[in-house]
Amino acid sequence: MRRLAALFLLLAGIGCGFARAAPGGTLRLVTASASGSFDPQINYTNRYWEIFQAMYDGLVSFAKTSGPESFKVVPDLATAIPAPADHGTTYVFHLRPGIEFSNGEPVTVQAVVHSFRRLFRVNSPNAGTWYDVIIGGRRCAAHPRHCSLPGLVGNAAEGTVTFHLRHPDSEFLDQLAVPFASILPADTPEHDMGTTPIPGTGAYMARSYSPASGIVLVRNPHFREWSAAAQPGGFPDRIDYHFGLTAEAQVSAVENGQYDWMFEDVPADRLNEIATRYTRQVHINPVNYFFYLPMNIHIPPFNDKDARLAVEYAVNRASMVKLFGGPALAAPTCQILPPEMPGYRPYCPYTKNPGAKWSAPDWRKARAYMKKSGMTGQPVTIITEVQSPFREIGIYLQSVLNRLGFRASVKPLSPDIEFTYIQNSANKVQISVTDWAQDYAAPSDFLNVLFSCKSFHPASDDSINMTGFCDPAIDREMQKAIVLSVRHPRQGDALWAHVDHQITRRALVASLFSVKKLDFVSARLRNFTFSGEYFFLPQLAMVK
Amino acid sequence: MSAVAEKLAEPLPPPAAGYWATALRKLRRDRAAMAALVVLAVITLLCALAPFYARDVAHADPFQSNLSGTTIVHGRRVEVLAPADNPLHLGIEPIGPTWRFGPYMLGADQQGRDVAARLLYGGRNSLLIAFASAAICLILAALTGLAAGFFGGWTDRIISAVLDVIWAFPVFLLAISLSVVLIAHGVRIGPLLIDASSLSLPILIVGVIYVPYVARPVRGRVIQLRESEFVLASVGLGVPPWRILLIDILPNVVSTLVVFAPLIVALNMLTESALSFLSIGVQPPHASWGTIIGNGEALIYTRPMVAIAPGIAIVLTVLALNILGDGLRDALDPRAKLRN
Amino acid sequence: MLSTIIRRLVHMVFVLFGITVLVFLIFFATPGANPAARIAGRGASPATLARVSAEFGLNKPLPVQYALMMKRLFVTGNLTSFVNLGEKVVPQVLHAAPVTLSLVAGAAVIWIAFSVLIGLLAAAFRNTVIDRLLMILTLIGISMPVFWVAEMANLISQGALHRTALFSWVPPLGYIPLSQSPLGWFKALIIPWFTLAILYIGLYARVLRASLIESLQEDYIRTARAKGLSERQVLTRHALRTSLISFVTLFGLDFGVLVGGGALLTEVVFGLQGVGYLTYQALETLDLPMIMATVIYASVFVVLSNAAVDILYALVDPRVRDR
Repeated sequence: MRRLAALFLLLAGIGCGFARAAPGGTLRLVTASASGSFDPQINYTNRYWEIFQAMYDGLVSFAKTSGPESFKVVPDLATAIPAPADHGTTYVFHLRPGIEFSNGEPVTVQAVVHSFRRLFRVNSPNAGTWYDVIIGGRRCAAHPRHCSLPGLVGNAAEGTVTFHLRHPDSEFLDQLAVPFASILPADTPEHDMGTTPIPGTGAYMARSYSPASGIVLVRNPHFREWSAAAQPGGFPDRIDYHFGLTAEAQVSAVENGQYDWMFEDVPADRLNEIATRYTRQVHINPVNYFFYLPMNIHIPPFNDKDARLAVEYAVNRASMVKLFGGPALAAPTCQILPPEMPGYRPYCPYTKNPGAKWSAPDWRKARAYMKKSGMTGQPVTIITEVQSPFREIGIYLQSVLNRLGFRASVKPLSPDIEFTYIQNSANKVQISVTDWAQDYAAPSDFLNVLFSCKSFHPASDDSINMTGFCDPAIDREMQKAIVLSVRHPRQGDALWAHVDHQITRRALVASLFSVKKLDFVSARLRNFTFSGEYFFLPQLAMVK
Repeated sequence: MSAVAEKLAEPLPPPAAGYWATALRKLRRDRAAMAALVVLAVITLLCALAPFYARDVAHADPFQSNLSGTTIVHGRRVEVLAPADNPLHLGIEPIGPTWRFGPYMLGADQQGRDVAARLLYGGRNSLLIAFASAAICLILAALTGLAAGFFGGWTDRIISAVLDVIWAFPVFLLAISLSVVLIAHGVRIGPLLIDASSLSLPILIVGVIYVPYVARPVRGRVIQLRESEFVLASVGLGVPPWRILLIDILPNVVSTLVVFAPLIVALNMLTESALSFLSIGVQPPHASWGTIIGNGEALIYTRPMVAIAPGIAIVLTVLALNILGDGLRDALDPRAKLRN
Repeated sequence: MLSTIIRRLVHMVFVLFGITVLVFLIFFATPGANPAARIAGRGASPATLARVSAEFGLNKPLPVQYALMMKRLFVTGNLTSFVNLGEKVVPQVLHAAPVTLSLVAGAAVIWIAFSVLIGLLAAAFRNTVIDRLLMILTLIGISMPVFWVAEMANLISQGALHRTALFSWVPPLGYIPLSQSPLGWFKALIIPWFTLAILYIGLYARVLRASLIESLQEDYIRTARAKGLSERQVLTRHALRTSLISFVTLFGLDFGVLVGGGALLTEVVFGLQGVGYLTYQALETLDLPMIMATVIYASVFVVLSNAAVDILYALVDPRVRDR
């Protein structure tokens, strides 16, 4: 018996020796469709950010690694992360010398300044919400043609760029690290480049891009690795990203080894199959991402807190988890912040035994609150998305609301319409099913973005605060936390936890579950690396 | 008597007295058509009994999600939606068909609802929509076809132009565009508000799109009749137009419509199922055979019965309608053609 | 003759105008259809939103927007998508066209071959058990929803039986270009071809049978029989030839509709990224420029095939010409 085991070990060792992964080869990725503009200062989708992070660099960037380290901001085109001066309002970056774009142009102070002005001139989605913290940014957001951005000063002789902010901002570095703040050549046209790839400084460059067929990435000939954490050289020589297969077809193709990785989530009815037959090709990682039900607190019936509490106590979050694929992929939650987020302190008042964790619905309390609210018999329309799991969640919620005594109906809309439809208060949406994922790992990206007065714009398609909640006291507390976190992250996190629990107690949204990301890769793929920020890092995968 | 002679001997318009009686007699002798009628009656009856099935056999509300419930199969209590058995504990599987006359005979869907009970309830909606929309289609087609054919001139030109535009719009694209748009907010026609989640919406959409297919032959028939000798003779005799329309032309058109009726019902059932399959037809909590197939798509590899059963129901119903349509055509008007 | 053609062309332009206006109105009647917020991205400020609206001309009056869109679609050809910004819609449609053409042409070959065979057999053995059996089969073919047949085909060939020798050759869903691998192209399309063809085999076989039996009663056929031709020769040489006109007409119309994107359901279930799929995707994402392009593309085929059939008739039958 023992000898046999030893023999196996020996064989396994030999096997490993032969199959040792090496750089080179072509990594083949697949997804269903294109995802909008290929301009890194415009595109706001995870699908392209995952690619952009290997093509472009900011002054700083998120470390290209796995685990909690992947949320850390490291110096990239800048030599170091500067300590903020002037009470947190001034940042001075020194440019790394000798770096070139993929077209051979050098990275200059001028290119940096141009890139930040371009951000406003091309109407980058968050130009007016993130980058307006730079002095002059508000004017730029309002009049992009005449954007001069006086808060950004370049000194070509010393190779420095200096940012002057309107106020201290603990997330400024995070916002500099995402692809919006990529540094592009100084002669990049000041309009959305659409399908034309823009040269970058990353290890890879786009040889071709077509929304119909896909992306081909090859090594950037002008790239020399300057920081493995910020922009690693990468292993595959070429990355082919093919567009146009349904998720079902993607699963079969990865199983058969025709592709190395699929972007879409594995459809629910294939989970058992891949878990049984391809166990070692499945990777599951936590992400900052949750599903929730925003309730409009300005119109009946959910302008009544008791009605909202009734929903909170009645929703069976374990059932919702089943709709997402089971406890391996999702965990019930009652609060806003997801488990991996700084400032997360487990808290659940809306359960059978209130405490840290959700355990079971409390129908006795739910019925009592329902009765107290006097909303029995009120009509409620649930707006949800037409695809799984949103549709299923909506249908399940309908039966819960009906059981509570509402007269509920459910309206599944196309995902492209739903997200803006539920934001516009003119559409009078009472309750909807939606999700929220982080831009970067900061609590304010959930709490401040989703619940501040600033995020609520009546009768606008862009009003991410869907509940219409606005409490100046909580706003003040969140601002305090943002400033506090610049110098004292730990105290800042404690304050965020407090805000999280306060908002949870207001029962503005019914949080359902936080999710984990499942990646299904080919048998030959080695060194799968999962960044919390960008998810799968294709350049670190080995396929040879 | 040869077929040609039979055709010649057929009463030319206006239909002789006893035209309908003769047709009915012919239809009764058509064994295939009678069998189809029986099948349709049985399917309709079964669907009508859906509430009793749900209450007394399935013991379940087919519109209530049952995600955390349990049931008893072969004497053992099992979860309706159980975690799949694999090393990673990935995935949830609904209970499969038990093949016993009782709860979950055909298994459960991803909401833990009884598929057999939903099949019967879904059939009610599929049948209702197919028949109601066919009625709308035939009435609209008769009105437009009659007006265009009888009045001619500008009336004809305008109606034909509108019909041409709808005709050139590929029928599925039209149905899908209308559904995508109307599903969001419903539709308001004057004081009448049709809610997006009500069945009236798919009825209306499916009812409208095939109007040109019927209106065109009706118009052709009316023109043909208007120029026929007996109508010209009536005009010569000074019979008022409304009398000609009512007495000479309408009965003929009705026979054309009756021949088309089962075929349109069949076509509408297929169209509705396709729309519902694309989840732009019948909206939850309502179900139709098409929506159940759509639900089954997500379970096709693990619980194929969810998609197979409603498909068989559609094929049976549509087949019966088509056989009935053949029989009616043979009995009433052997030359009628729906397409063209 | 010339005036017929000109009249058809004017008519065609009118119908296309009607359709574009219809699509445009349907789109702007949709709540939530305004693409400004989607273009601007999540969390954009109201100022950004307003500027995006202005940039895409979404704040102009509807007739102006319509005229601009038509100009960019037909004159300059640089109309771009609302969803995949910068993506020109016309090349997209042209890119998808070969997929649809491959699907429909292959299916057409199958349905013509099978329907002629079944039609002839049924007519030759009319009123026998063979005829009745064939007619029931064709009726079943007509009665099956195509998306369901496609699902069942997937269930069998991609699911349970995929591991067996019978179906292990079936490639994963999706299209393989003919230029890339002719064999792969064939393997990827053979099941979709048959799925799409089933309905038409049924329809055409029934039409052909009826028309054959009708022409068998005609005088010249009796003459041919009297001359001593065998029943088979009579059927294939004479009766079939006369039945062919209505057959070809029918084929022209159906082929036009399908090439224009009418095979949408088949394309969607088999993941073939043809024109129908593109249309469906555009409708799902409410991408107006793409919807416009695909719907016009589809309508052009419908209108063209209608016109072709009419002109064909005018050539064959002088009575129609003067109508």
